[in-house]
Amino acid sequence: MKLILLSVFCFSAMAMQAQTQLAPDQNPNYLISQNKYMQAKDSLQGNMNATIQQTYKAYDWYEAKLERKQNRIQNRNERRLYNNYQDYNYYNSGFNNYGYNNYYGNYRYGNRNGYNNFWSLRPSIGYRTGNWWFWF
Amino acid sequence: MLCLSATLFFASCSNRTVTRIDPSETPDISGSWNNTDSRLTADEMIRQSLSEKWLTNHLTEKGKKPVVIVGLVTNKSHEHIEAETFMNDLERSFITTDKVGLVQSGKKREELRAEKADMQTNASASTLKKFGLEKGADYILQGSINSIVDAYKKKKTVTYQINLELTNIETNEVVWIGEKKIAKYVKN
Repeated sequence: MKLILLSVFCFSAMAMQAQTQLAPDQNPNYLISQNKYMQAKDSLQGNMNATIQQTYKAYDWYEAKLERKQNRIQNRNERRLYNNYQDYNYYNSGFNNYGYNNYYGNYRYGNRNGYNNFWSLRPSIGYRTGNWWFWF
Repeated sequence: MLCLSATLFFASCSNRTVTRIDPSETPDISGSWNNTDSRLTADEMIRQSLSEKWLTNHLTEKGKKPVVIVGLVTNKSHEHIEAETFMNDLERSFITTDKVGLVQSGKKREELRAEKADMQTNASASTLKKFGLEKGADYILQGSINSIVDAYKKKKTVTYQINLELTNIETNEVVWIGEKKIAKYVKN
């Protein structure tokens, strides 16, 4: 019993001391904030003396034009690769109607379904195609 | 085919030349943020921070030089900009002029404390460094980088605005705001 009373007395004394140690004009509830930030200080101080990058993409007419051009080239290449892959599969599948493989590989002017489309009308050899293997 | 082979051969043989240049005279190449912008920012911030009245106010009030800790700089521009280049110049000026004290922050401070912790069990008693004796900062230096881009066809103007703020840690009072604006006209 004496021990409990002594503990209560000690805590009361400490609380009284904390109250009396306030600086002039200090908020008496400062300990609430202090405890809150004492727990979070490690995560909050992690980015000190560093640069946080929160950049945005600015619209630039000229760069957007170049980007569109680059996308067109990339799309064209991807489409060509896909078509070549389809042709390769078709001519090597053994189910084509020509009887021999890859004869029209580089000089095709129609697709395997027998009708032309816009892309199949374009030559498949030359600078724009990236295909320089004339003899195959 | 022969022409193609020759072209490819000569293209692969093109040699690159590298020339040392004066860092203070970095030429503008792409129009993006470069060394010159960083240097101009640093020069202006050093001039403003060491000449404005927050420094004399602090000396008058406290009787000793202020101690500053460097906080966060947020880059909200359209380019990747590392603020450390001009912040380091500013920190260096604090030390060389001996007008402002500087304490370590961030990852470097963590490393210092880790080293101190290591000393507690490994260093000799006479060389041991104690915890709890770090110098507390009076002010924190924080900043932001913003940009405005106006572009049409091949013309572009870019304006960077760099702001640094010095805030009293105890009172949250902003005692100094440094500002540097850099405007560029870029024609492609």
